[in-house]
Amino acid sequence: MVSRAAAAIRTRPRREREQEVLVWPDLVFIEFISALIFSIALMVLSAMVNAPLLNRADPDTTPNPSKAPWYFLNLQELLLHMEPAWAGVIVPTIALVLLAAIPYWDRDTQGQGVWFGTKFAGRLTVFGFTAATLITSLLIIWDGSLHVVWTENIIRGLGLNSDFSWPGGLDWFRNLRGFDTGIPWESLGFTIGGFTMFEDWRAIPLGIPGTTTDPWLLNLNFPSFLSQQIIPVATMVGLPVAFVVFCKMLGWIQTRRDIALLIFSAFIGVYLTTTIVGTAFRGQGQDLKPPWDIVVLEE
Amino acid sequence: MANLERAPRKSFNDLIYDLIFKNYVWQSIFRTGYPNTPRNQMLAVATNVFLHLHPTRIHRTHVKITHTYCLGGLSFFMFLGLTVTGVLLMFYYVPSIERAYQDIQELEANVRFGQLLRNMHRWMAHAMIILVLLHMMRVFYTGAYKPPREFNWVVGVVLFILTLLLSFTGYLLPWDQLAFWAITVGTTMVGSAPVLGDESKFLLLGGFSVGPNALIRFYTLHVIGLPLVISIFMAVHFWRVRRDGGLARPL
Repeated sequence: MVSRAAAAIRTRPRREREQEVLVWPDLVFIEFISALIFSIALMVLSAMVNAPLLNRADPDTTPNPSKAPWYFLNLQELLLHMEPAWAGVIVPTIALVLLAAIPYWDRDTQGQGVWFGTKFAGRLTVFGFTAATLITSLLIIWDGSLHVVWTENIIRGLGLNSDFSWPGGLDWFRNLRGFDTGIPWESLGFTIGGFTMFEDWRAIPLGIPGTTTDPWLLNLNFPSFLSQQIIPVATMVGLPVAFVVFCKMLGWIQTRRDIALLIFSAFIGVYLTTTIVGTAFRGQGQDLKPPWDIVVLEE
Repeated sequence: MANLERAPRKSFNDLIYDLIFKNYVWQSIFRTGYPNTPRNQMLAVATNVFLHLHPTRIHRTHVKITHTYCLGGLSFFMFLGLTVTGVLLMFYYVPSIERAYQDIQELEANVRFGQLLRNMHRWMAHAMIILVLLHMMRVFYTGAYKPPREFNWVVGVVLFILTLLLSFTGYLLPWDQLAFWAITVGTTMVGSAPVLGDESKFLLLGGFSVGPNALIRFYTLHVIGLPLVISIFMAVHFWRVRRDGGLARPL
């Protein structure tokens, strides 16, 4: 194991001198020019656009919406769709650990040093990015109940039924919370061999009778657990797996590098989508709004 | 005969050139003239404290802009620019809740180029995050994380996290509504961590909410703590690029 890295260097063919250029001037020049271009561009930007400075901080006046810095808005977006512990801490931690672990999993030394080094790399990248962006957008629309608003507006607008509203039988499909509030959990208890199971789905006892443990171990609110934890986590695990299976069926995946390409591209898609939605499409009460309708109120 | 041996008269340009580049002081700083032979050009890189991070020669594909888009180097350049503008900002800023906001207002209104200075620092910070992200994508899509560069990829991920933390700690310092509530939202997310959430949040803020203790903690981390840590990781990152054989190339 120790010698793997050393072996990779040793097996490299000796470079031919003709293939080499001198760092001075060839590279130093490029570095100098790129630094110059960036300095000028940033100077121009800074001359034109001022850094924001709002009123003095006031703990008694909460802006609505309150937002984290833009690079954390992807996490704040996740926060709207699942248990805070998952969105704010566990998911980003797992994502970073998996990111760091890529080279320890994809160890094949082939295909390095060239852009999109495998046969289907281009397709995997485009598919992973596009599909993840689309699916993430659809999930956000669904959890924002926009499909409900749109369906109602379309049916009313077409004159089919001017009083139409989303059917109560489909309340569970309004949004993620619908699985919690839109299903008649109270009537779903059942009996096995004389024992009544789950008479109260909202307080399933987990603690052992006669012992005292932390209260949060004692009762489980299953409907809430389902909508805030099981479904979001199953989605985050299931979709990447489905992506891999799908591309494998198409024959696009031949190596681990291909899987890494697919999942990384999908990750970039999700990362961008959630950041953009969190930054530009969340108004008061974190409701979905087009960017031009977003006003910050101080309350 | 004497006429023939007389040296040709120097032109005015040559006189100026000699005056600037061939005087005692200049030559004490730059021991040789412009390096115009391959040997001298390699020596110029190898013996210069700022340039010796580079090898003296590199493969010709690596100077193609489209291979790296200079993203890693530009991230580092942003760090340097942020250090310079940051040090200048420190002259005018006191991290107390009584003075912080007022100091920024006065910097913008009363200090010559004060607004420009603050703008530069802010936009460079945003640019650095974007550049680091793009650099990570470049390294990924060129397969440059593969052996023997596994560990340097990990160092890179750490540098990405440190970049975010540097930006996040700087975000609070202007002490305006934007800063205050962004940090409140951000640290609330930290507080929702299982098991150690409340403790981590308390450690970060020096209290239960964003206040004077949080400001001094964020300031200290922003101007000295995190820059020191990120410098160490950057040193390792650059060192490993050289040790692992420069940029990745097809085998």
